[in-house]
Amino acid sequence: MSAAAPVSSGWAIAVYCVLNLALSVALAPFFMSLIKKVKARVQRREGPGIFQSYYNLAKLFKKEVVYSSNSSFIMRIAPYVNVVCLLTAALFVPLVFVPAGFSGVGNIILFLYLLALAKFFMALAGLDAGSAFGGMGSSREMAISSIIEPVAMIVFASLAFSFHSLNLFDIFSQVAGSVPFLSRPTLLLVGISMFIVLITETARIPVDNPETHLELTMVHEAMVLEQSGRNLALMEISAAIKQLLLMALLVNVFLPIGLVVDLAALPLVAALSIFFIEMVILAVFIGFFESYCTKLRLFRLPTMFLIAYFLSFVTILLEVLV
Amino acid sequence: MYIGALVCLLCASLLPLIFSVGPLQRFARKVALALAAVGALSAILFAIRVLLYEDMLRLDLLRISSIVGLSVDIDLLAGFFVFIIGIVALPVVIYSFSYSEHFQSGMSKNLFVSLMSFFILSLVLVVSASDMFSFLFFWELMSVSSFLLVMFDYHSPKCRKAGLFYFVMTQLSTAFLLLAFLVIYSAGGSLSLAIPPSLSPWISGLVFLSLMFGFGTKAGVIPFHKWLPYAHPASPSPISALMSGVMIKVAVYGLLRFLIPFQSPSLWWGVVVLVFGTVSAWLGVIYALKEHDLKRLLAYHSIENIGIIWMGIGLFLVFSFFHLTALAYLGLAAALFHTLNHAIFKSLLFLSAGGVIQSAHTQNIEELGGLVKTMPFSAVFFLVGAVAISAIPPLNGFVSEFMLFQALFSSNQVGDPWLQVLLLVCLSFLAMTSALAAACFVKAFASVFLALPRSDEARSASEVPFPMLAGQAILALLCVVFGVFSLQLFSLVGQRFGIGFDLPDLLSLTAVMIVICFAVLLLLRFFASSRTRVGETWGCGMSRQTPKMEYTASGFSQPIVEIFSFIYRPKKVNSRSYHDSCQADFSEGEAEIHMLKFFEEYVYLPLARVIRLVSSWFYRWQNVVDIDSFVFFGFLSILALIVITGVWA
Repeated sequence: MSAAAPVSSGWAIAVYCVLNLALSVALAPFFMSLIKKVKARVQRREGPGIFQSYYNLAKLFKKEVVYSSNSSFIMRIAPYVNVVCLLTAALFVPLVFVPAGFSGVGNIILFLYLLALAKFFMALAGLDAGSAFGGMGSSREMAISSIIEPVAMIVFASLAFSFHSLNLFDIFSQVAGSVPFLSRPTLLLVGISMFIVLITETARIPVDNPETHLELTMVHEAMVLEQSGRNLALMEISAAIKQLLLMALLVNVFLPIGLVVDLAALPLVAALSIFFIEMVILAVFIGFFESYCTKLRLFRLPTMFLIAYFLSFVTILLEVLV
Repeated sequence: MYIGALVCLLCASLLPLIFSVGPLQRFARKVALALAAVGALSAILFAIRVLLYEDMLRLDLLRISSIVGLSVDIDLLAGFFVFIIGIVALPVVIYSFSYSEHFQSGMSKNLFVSLMSFFILSLVLVVSASDMFSFLFFWELMSVSSFLLVMFDYHSPKCRKAGLFYFVMTQLSTAFLLLAFLVIYSAGGSLSLAIPPSLSPWISGLVFLSLMFGFGTKAGVIPFHKWLPYAHPASPSPISALMSGVMIKVAVYGLLRFLIPFQSPSLWWGVVVLVFGTVSAWLGVIYALKEHDLKRLLAYHSIENIGIIWMGIGLFLVFSFFHLTALAYLGLAAALFHTLNHAIFKSLLFLSAGGVIQSAHTQNIEELGGLVKTMPFSAVFFLVGAVAISAIPPLNGFVSEFMLFQALFSSNQVGDPWLQVLLLVCLSFLAMTSALAAACFVKAFASVFLALPRSDEARSASEVPFPMLAGQAILALLCVVFGVFSLQLFSLVGQRFGIGFDLPDLLSLTAVMIVICFAVLLLLRFFASSRTRVGETWGCGMSRQTPKMEYTASGFSQPIVEIFSFIYRPKKVNSRSYHDSCQADFSEGEAEIHMLKFFEEYVYLPLARVIRLVSSWFYRWQNVVDIDSFVFFGFLSILALIVITGVWA
C-alpha cells in the first residue's frame, strides 16, 4: 500500500463517511427513476416523473408489513442485512472525495463479498415464504451470481494488475483528476466487462427485467415478491444503492475527473457537479442500452459473461506479456 | 499435560468396554465422555502452550530398538494440529453426551463412546509422531478405528459398502505412503519425517508424488475422493464431524510436515498441488450442488475445502520457488488458517445436520423443510456454519479465502508469464467455487429449515437436547471469533514470526455494521410505520398453499445443472403408458434424471474391470491344475524371487 501518502485527519475521514453515505442514499433512487424515464421516452411514453422513486419509497415506508405465516426470522432480518451491507459497502467506493492514505476499508474483495452477504440473505428470504416465485428467483439469482462472480473477480484483478493495488482508495487517489484510459487503452476493454457486471448485478435487460412481474423473466423481482411495506422499501433502497455504487465505480475508474483528494469547499462542489453529470450520462446510456437490447434466454447468459471474462483476461494478458 | 490428555482418552476408550454389562453401564459411559472431554481440553491447553511459548515436547512412548520405537515429538506445526484436533473434539464429545444415547442397544452405545475416544486418541498421536515408524503405526490405528466407526451401523448393506470402499481407499493411501517412506529410508538411512536433501531430483520427485497421492487419498483430493461421499452418510454424525473436520486434516499435516522443511522443491511440485487443489475445489462444489443427501452434500464440500487448502499449499511451493517469501508465507498461512476454519465450520455443520437427521429421521433434504420453527437453535447454528463455509464476511471462512485471493492477486510478482496466467485461471475458479458454495448452502439451508415441511417426519421433528446444542454453540462461537478477530490474531502471529499480513479489519467492519444497523433502526422508528400483519403467502390467487408448491432442492439447483451440463451430463429417462393405442390418453409414467458419475464410471470401474480380468485369468488357471502343481508353482515363484533378489544385490 502507498505508505508515502499523508494520512488524513479524522476530520477528513468523517467528512468522507458522511458525504458518501448521504450521497448514496440521496441520489440512488434518482438514477432508478432516471433510467425508467429514459426507457419510457424511448418508447414514446411520458413515463413516471423523475422523483417517482422517492414517492414510492415514502409511500412504502408508511405502509404496514405483511409477513407470510410460513416465514421465519430470515424474512424479518433480510431487509436489514441488505441495507446495512449496502450502506457499509457505500463506504468502500469513494464517490467524489478520496481521503488520502485512508486505506483501512476500500478493499475490493471485501467490497464484493459484502455484496455477496446481502445476496445470500436475499436469496434465503426468497425461499422463506415457500412460494414458487421466490424460490425461482433465488435459484436463478444464485446461478447467475455463481458465474458472474469469477468475471467480477477477474475484472478487479485486471484493475489490480493495471494499478498495482487491491484497494479502491489507492486506485482512485492514483487516477483522481486524470483520464486514465488515455495512457492505458486496455482499460476500455475492462470497461466493457465492468459494464456487463454492472448490468448483471443490477438485474437489468438482457439479464433480468426490472419492469415485469412475469414469471418467465423474473429474477430479482421474484425474490422480493413476498416483501412488503417498510421491508420492501429497504430492499428497494438497497438495490438502488448497489446500482449507484457500481455505476460510480465505473465512472470513477474511467473518467475520474470529478474526484478530489484535498478537502476544500469549492473543488468539492465542482467535483460533485462533474460526478453528477457523469452519472446522469451513464444512467441515460443504461436506459438506451436496455431499450435497444432484448432479454436473453437464461441459459444464453453464460456466453455473455464469457465475453466479459475474455475481455478482462485479454487486458491482463496485455499487462503481463507486453 | 500431553500425557494427561493421552491417558484420559485411553481411559475413556477402555471404561465403557470394561463396564459394558451391568448396572454401572450408563454411568461408565458418562464418566468416559467426561474423561474424553477433559482429554480434549488438556490437548487444547497443551497446544496453546506449545504455540505461545514454543514449549516443545519430545518423548518415547515405547522403545523396541535404537531405530524402531514409538515416540512423539511436538513442534509448532504438530502443536497447531493438536490444537485443531482438540478444538473439534471437545464440542463433539459434549455433543455425544446425548447423541450416544439414541442408539438402540447398550452395546452400541458403549462401543460408540469407546471407539470415538480411541479415534481421537489416535488422531492426536498421528500428528505428534516423531518418526516414520511411529507415524505409520498411529496412521493405521487411526484408519482402523475410523473404519470401525464407518461400519458402525453394519446391519445396513449401504453401510457395509461404504465401509469396504473406505477400507480399500485408506489402504491405498497407506500403500503410497509406505512407498514414499521406503524410498526415503533407503536413500537417507534415517526414519525422520523429512525428505533428505541429498536425493536426486527424479527420486525426490517420486517421493513427492507418492506422498501427494498417499495424503491426497486420505484427504479426499479428486480423483481419489470417492470414499468421502460414501463414508460420511454412513457413519454417525459426530464421527463425520471428526473425520471431515480433523482426520482429513491429518493428511494436510502429513504433506506439510514433509514439504515445509524441504529446501529445494521443483516448480512443478507446486504447480501439481495447485492444479489438483483447484480441480478438487471446483468439482467438489459442483458435485455438492446436485446432492440431496444432507451428509453427502457436506462430504462433497469437504472435498471442495480440501481443494482450497491444497491451493494454499501449492501457492506456498510456487512462491517459495521464486523466493517470494512474504507471498509464500501468505499462501501457507491461508492453507493453515483454512484448515482450522474448515475444521470448525464443517464439524459445526455435521453436528447440526446430525441433530436434524436424528429428529427428522431422514437425510434426504427433499423430505425436510420448515424445521426453523421447531428447531430454531439448530437452524441458527447451521446458518452460522453455512455463512462461514460460503466465505462470507465477517465469519472465519472469509478470512482464509481472502488470504488466498490476495496471494493469487499478487501473481504479477511471479517471473514466469505463463505461470501468472495459470494463477489467474485458478483465481477465477476459486471465485466461482465460493459463489457456487454460497448457492449450495442457500439451497441446503432453505430446503432443510425454511418454508413448509415436505414430509410427516419433518413435521414432527423437535429440537435436540441441550448437550447437542451446546456442542454446536461452541463451534458457532468459534466461527465468529476467528472471523471477527482475525486481524488481531494475525498481528499476533505476524509479530511472532516477523511477517506482516495485510488483512482487512473485520472487527471495525463489524462495529461499523452494527452502528449502521442501529442508525437504520432508529431512523425507521421515527419515519416509518411499524405495523405488521401475518398473512398467507401470495400465490396468484391460489387459496391454500401446500408444500408441493414450494421450490425443492433439485429445482433450486436445476439452472446450475443446466449451465454445467457438460459436467453433469444429465440423462433423462421416461417411461409412459397410455390408455389407448394412439398414445393420446396418458395413464401413468415415470421420469428420472441421472447424472453422470464421471470418476466412478470412467476411472474407478474400468480400473476394477482390468483387475478383475487379470484375476479371473489366474482363477481359471487355478481351477485347471490340481493341488500338487499348485504347490509346484509356489515353489517356482519363490525360487524366482530368490534368484532375482540375488542378481539385484
